[in-house]
Amino acid sequence: MKLLVVEDDTTTSTYIARGLREEGHAVDVVADGRDGLVQATTGQYDVLILDRMLPELDGLTLLKTLRGAGNATPVLLLTAMGAVDDRIDGLNAGADDYLVKPFAFGELSARVNALARRPQALEQETTLRAGDLTMDLITRRVTRAGQEIDLLPREFALLEHLLRRKGRVQTRTMLLEAVWDISFDPMTNVVETHISRLRAKVDRPFDTELIQTVRGAGYRIDA
Amino acid sequence: MKARLAGLWRSMPLRLALLLVLLFATVSLLSLAASYAVTQRSFEQAIRADLAQDMAGFRAAPSAGAVARLVEAESRETDPNRLILSYIGPDGRIYGNGAIARDNEGYHIVSLGAARAEYTGVYLTLTDTLYGGLLTIARSRAEITALREVFVNILLVSLLPTVLIALSGGLILARRSKRHVEVIRATLDRLTTGDLAARVAPGPRWSDDLLRIGEGINQMARAQETSVAALRQVSLDIAHDLKTPIQRVSVHLDDLARAEKTGGDREEPLARARAELDGIAKIFQSLLQLAQVERGDARAHFAPVDLADLCRKMAELYEPAAADQGKELRCDLPEGPVLVEGDEALLGQLLANLIENALRHSGSAEAVEITLQQTAGETILSVADRGPGIPAEDRGKVLQRLYRLDRSRGTPGHGLGLALVDGVAKLHGARLELADNAPGLLVKVAFSA
Repeated sequence: MKLLVVEDDTTTSTYIARGLREEGHAVDVVADGRDGLVQATTGQYDVLILDRMLPELDGLTLLKTLRGAGNATPVLLLTAMGAVDDRIDGLNAGADDYLVKPFAFGELSARVNALARRPQALEQETTLRAGDLTMDLITRRVTRAGQEIDLLPREFALLEHLLRRKGRVQTRTMLLEAVWDISFDPMTNVVETHISRLRAKVDRPFDTELIQTVRGAGYRIDA
Repeated sequence: MKARLAGLWRSMPLRLALLLVLLFATVSLLSLAASYAVTQRSFEQAIRADLAQDMAGFRAAPSAGAVARLVEAESRETDPNRLILSYIGPDGRIYGNGAIARDNEGYHIVSLGAARAEYTGVYLTLTDTLYGGLLTIARSRAEITALREVFVNILLVSLLPTVLIALSGGLILARRSKRHVEVIRATLDRLTTGDLAARVAPGPRWSDDLLRIGEGINQMARAQETSVAALRQVSLDIAHDLKTPIQRVSVHLDDLARAEKTGGDREEPLARARAELDGIAKIFQSLLQLAQVERGDARAHFAPVDLADLCRKMAELYEPAAADQGKELRCDLPEGPVLVEGDEALLGQLLANLIENALRHSGSAEAVEITLQQTAGETILSVADRGPGIPAEDRGKVLQRLYRLDRSRGTPGHGLGLALVDGVAKLHGARLELADNAPGLLVKVAFSA
């Protein structure tokens, strides 16, 4: 993918750019809002990673200008402010996702990948598959290697979310947002405990592990 | 002196006094002028009536000679300053005590005596032809002139003292109110220069409006003093609570550097440093969120929230975590929806904080109970554990940010959980109550319906 990072703090931008390049993306970096706007309008990017506080032109204004000009490139907004209202402001200005500093690189990478593929996730499937596991979305039955697996509604939702995003890392906060509709970060590792319950039913009785833990990032079901 | 006078001149009571004086003087002048005009008119009418009657008397005489004799007789008796009679007979002779003469300055009445002196008074005259002659009767207006003097005197006697009294009263009031305002100004000066303990001390003779202003200033100063003290305390707490983890990060980095040299384990100090930094970021995040909740902005987008549904969701979220610790999360919730006006995300966080708190501090005791009760006027959300609880004397303090009981220092958490619960409860106008669950802690959040 071709990505543009607009961030004035060189330590952060170098860190983001290096990480994303290691994952195989082409990354351009600019350090102020005005250059960012020029670069975003002239280049063809798959995702923009935009800092909210920028010299010359702040991130929200840049975003509004870009959207006003009809540019629909997915935007991930980075911010030091994490309160609910700031989040709403950012999303209202046209951001597709929002990440609060300080963040782990795994979180950023997972969210960038989610953004780039968002339009394709609209297809209507009635059966989801991974390896020998099958999830029927209509009868809400899950079977693995011919055996039926009994899941609680929330476990079903969690597994469905991971299956729909096969091959992509889902972080704890992404799962909290998508499955529980919770936008704050609990102190207790609630997601881990739910994942381990799910694993106990989906993976433990079988030979292979479908749900992978990605260190420092989150969880993934391999394609 | 000049400056002081200028200051007084700008003072409100003096201006009011001057305005009243001006108003009073205008009203007096107008009423006096009106009564003068009315009286003068009636005097003039009386004089004209007299003139007409005199003329009628002379008309009664049978002939010109008789008129002439009558005029002569009468004019001998009368004072020409009061009444002048003049008859020019058909033969051109002038009878009476005066004659009307005319020159380019207008009409004059001249004496018929030897000196032919002119009468200087002002007269009202009536002239008519009588038996071929011309009879002129003039009556003096002296009484009317005298009347004007009387009125001017009345005006002076009544107006001057009033003006003087009002002016000096105004001056006294102005000086007094200037002293009172000075007290307020001095207090404000001290407050702006940072002396937040300054208060307005009202004197016994202060007017009600000044008293109210003084009370308002004192109230503002008290609020300011409290919030500055709170802010100072928070800054100290933050400094203290962040220095410790920053110190630990520094230690872990030193360990890492040493491991680099000696070829020891690098993963562990790295993981520890990262965990400390995550903790620091969380403290900041919580402090920012607390500040925002306390600002009250969220009230703008309050909407009905189903508390029962939210309780179920949060209990379901924490149930596996509780089970891992060998504890049970029990819910006692009504069947139907329980609606309150609020912010769903913040109420969810309030519940999460209470559940985490109960799980973390309940030791090995097994059950945490979430209940929702609806009474006539209130919806009460309560979370109860069976741990050691909080001693009654510490219950107020645990709501302060960064406050932790000594025995909790070893457990995870940063002392902001209950402060945020308190903030969110206040934002929703709900009453937060910490009580003894005998044993354990019972936290009640009562929303008014």
